[in-house]
Amino acid sequence: MNGLETTRTSSRAILWVALVLLVVLYGFPFLYMLFTSFKTPLETIAVPPTVLPSSWTIENYASAIGRDGVVASFVNSVVTAVLSTAISLVLALPAAYAVTRFRTRFGRFFIVGALVMRMVPPIVIGVPMIGIFRSLGISDTSFALAIAHATISLPLSIWLMSSFFEAVPEELEEAAKIDGASRLGALWRVVLPVTAGGIAVTAIFAFLASWNEFLFALLLTATRSQTTPIVIANFQTQFGLDWGAMTALAVLYSVPVILLALVLQRHIVAGLTAGAVKG
Amino acid sequence: MSRRVLAGAAGALALATAVVLSGCGAGGGAPAAGDDSITVLVEAGGHGELQPIADQFEKDTGTSVTFVELPYDGLYNRLNSEFSSGSLSFDVAALDSIWLPTFAEALTPLDDMMTDEVQSDLFPALVTEAQVDDSFVGMPAWTNSEILYYRTDLFEDPAQQQKFKAEYGYDLVPPTTWEQYADVAKFFTQDTDSDGQVDVYGTDVKGAVETEWLATLSQTGEKDMVVGDDGTVSLGDADSLAALDFYTSLLPYAPSGAAQLDWAGSQNLFNQGQLAMMRFWAHAYKQIPADSAVTGKVGVTTMVGGPGGVAGVPGAWYLSVPAGTSKQEKALEFVQYAYDHNELSVDTDLGLASRISVLEKYQDEPGYENYKPLVDTLNATATIPRPANPNWQEIVDSALIPMIQKAVVPGADNQQLLDDAKAQVESITE
Repeated sequence: MNGLETTRTSSRAILWVALVLLVVLYGFPFLYMLFTSFKTPLETIAVPPTVLPSSWTIENYASAIGRDGVVASFVNSVVTAVLSTAISLVLALPAAYAVTRFRTRFGRFFIVGALVMRMVPPIVIGVPMIGIFRSLGISDTSFALAIAHATISLPLSIWLMSSFFEAVPEELEEAAKIDGASRLGALWRVVLPVTAGGIAVTAIFAFLASWNEFLFALLLTATRSQTTPIVIANFQTQFGLDWGAMTALAVLYSVPVILLALVLQRHIVAGLTAGAVKG
Repeated sequence: MSRRVLAGAAGALALATAVVLSGCGAGGGAPAAGDDSITVLVEAGGHGELQPIADQFEKDTGTSVTFVELPYDGLYNRLNSEFSSGSLSFDVAALDSIWLPTFAEALTPLDDMMTDEVQSDLFPALVTEAQVDDSFVGMPAWTNSEILYYRTDLFEDPAQQQKFKAEYGYDLVPPTTWEQYADVAKFFTQDTDSDGQVDVYGTDVKGAVETEWLATLSQTGEKDMVVGDDGTVSLGDADSLAALDFYTSLLPYAPSGAAQLDWAGSQNLFNQGQLAMMRFWAHAYKQIPADSAVTGKVGVTTMVGGPGGVAGVPGAWYLSVPAGTSKQEKALEFVQYAYDHNELSVDTDLGLASRISVLEKYQDEPGYENYKPLVDTLNATATIPRPANPNWQEIVDSALIPMIQKAVVPGADNQQLLDDAKAQVESITE
C-alpha cells in the first residue's frame, strides 16, 4: 500500500468513526426513550438510571393507549397536520412562483417579510388567535389549529418553494408557451411536475411542523381538537412524571413520522439539493 | 383513469375528509360545552380528584362536566393567555394556590359561598390563601402538605434501636425536632453490606424545588414567608439564614446530586429504599408502588418542627369561576357542589380532600394513615401560606430555586446567597 492509499484509508476510517459517533449521538436519546418505555414503573426512575430494562414489560404501552383521549388525540394530530400541510402548499406554491417569476419590488419585500414572520415568537400570534377563532366560531377545531400551524410552516414553505422554482429554467416555460400553453398551463404541466420533489420536501416539513407543534395546540385546543403532544405532556404533573407511559406514547407518536421519513427519504435528499446548483 | 388523476382524487378525498372531520371536532372525546354542560380546566394530575364529583353532579343536576386537562406549566400559560385575550373556553378552573393572586381580578368573588360554617371547616392557612384583596376567589378542592415519611423496618429494628440509643442517649423514634432529625439522618446514613459504599441515606436534600425550604423557613417561626404583606423581603434575616443553614447541614446524610433533586426524584429514592426518611407531600403515601422496596414498611407522622414549631407548606388547589364565563350560575353551583361532596375525592389517585371534617372522618381508617399527620401539620400554628403576591411564580423561578441550588453546593456562603436573593426579589416586586 503506498502513502496515498494509506492516507485515503485513514481518512475513510476517521470518517466512519465520526459517522458512527454521530449516529450514536443522534440515536441514543430515542433509543433511551424506547428502552424506558419497556421498563417497570420503578425502574424508569431508578437512581442511577439503567439503559436497558432489567425486565421488559409492555405495561406502559397499555397504560398510555388506555388513557382517555389518546386515540382521539392521534386522529386530531393527523387531521390537523394534513390540513395544515394542504393550506401551506395551496398558499405557498402560487406565492413562491409569483415572487420567483415576476421579480417585483413588492415580491422582494414579501419574501423578506415571510422570513421576518418566521422570527416572530409564536406566543405573540397565539394569544390574539384565541379571540379571533372564538369570534369566528371555529375555536377548538382542528381546522383552526391547522390555520395556526400554517402560520409557522407557510414562511418556510414559501422560501423552500422559491428556491425550487428558481432552479427551473424559464426556457422550459417559454417552450411550453410556444406550444400553446398559457402561463398557468405551463406552471401546471411543466413547472410543478419538475419541482415535484421540492413540493414533497415542502409538504414533509409543513407536516412535521404541525405534527410536533406544542404551544398553539396548548392555547387553542380543548376537548375536541387536542393533539397528542399535549396528551404526552399531561403525563407530567405537579407532583411527578409518569416516565413509562409518557415515553411509550412518545414512541408511538414518533412511529408515523419515522415511517414517513424512511419512505420519502429519497425525495427529501433530492428535494433539499434540488435548488443547490442552478443548471 | 391515469395515475395522476387517481392520486389527485385520493388527495382531494383525504382533504375533504379532513375538513369534514375537523369541522365536527373529529377527535373529541367529549362534546362541546352546551347549555347543560360546563367546562372545567384542570391540571392533568389533579383531574382524578374531581371526576367522581363531576359524575355525581351530572347525576344529581343533569349538567355534564367536561374536563380540559393540561400539563402544570401549560395550565398556567393557558390561563394567562385566555385572561389576556378576554376570550374564555372554560367555566371553572382548578388553580394552584400560588396562582390565585395572579388571576384574582379576573375571578368571580365567592364571598357568599365562604360562610362562617365553611371557613370553620377549612384550615386557617387555606382560608387566608383563598382571600385576595378582601375577597374570596377560590374554594379549596383538596389540600396537601409535607409530612414525615420513615422506614418502619429500620426504626423498629431492635439492633438499630439499641445502637442509636448507645450513640445518642435517647430512643430511636420518628424525629420531631431539627436536632433529632439531624441525629437520625446521620445515624441511618449507613453502609449496610460493608462494601465501603453507603447504601442507605438518612434523608434527602431537594435543591430543585422551593417548598421544602419554605417549610423549614416556617419552622423557624418566621411570620412573613419571603415577602410580607407590606412588600418587605425577609430573606437574609436570622430566620432565613437558620433555615438555610439547617437545610444544607443535612447534605452529608443525603445522596449526591441535591442541586437537581426535585419531588419526583426524591419520591423515587425513597421508594427504592435508598432513604430512611423523607419529608414529602401527604399524597405520596397512597402512591408507593407494589413493587417498591419499601412497600409495607412505611410510617408517616407530622412534619418536623424547628425553633418555631411544626410547620409545612399548604399545597391546596382551588376551584375558581372566571368572571367572564356566561355560565356563572352553573359554574358556581358546581363549586358549591364540590365543597358539599368533598368526600368523593378521598378514594382517588391522590386521595386528598380539603375539608377538616372529611380528613378527620377518615384519619383512623386503615389506608388513610397519612391523614392525621396532614391534619396536624396543617393545623400547626407555624404553618403559614405562601404570600399572596402576583409575582410569586417569578420569585420562585428566578430567585428562590436558584438560591437553593447554589446553597446545596458544598462551601456555599448562605448569607451571601440570601442577600443576593433578597435583592433579586426586591427587584421583582418593585
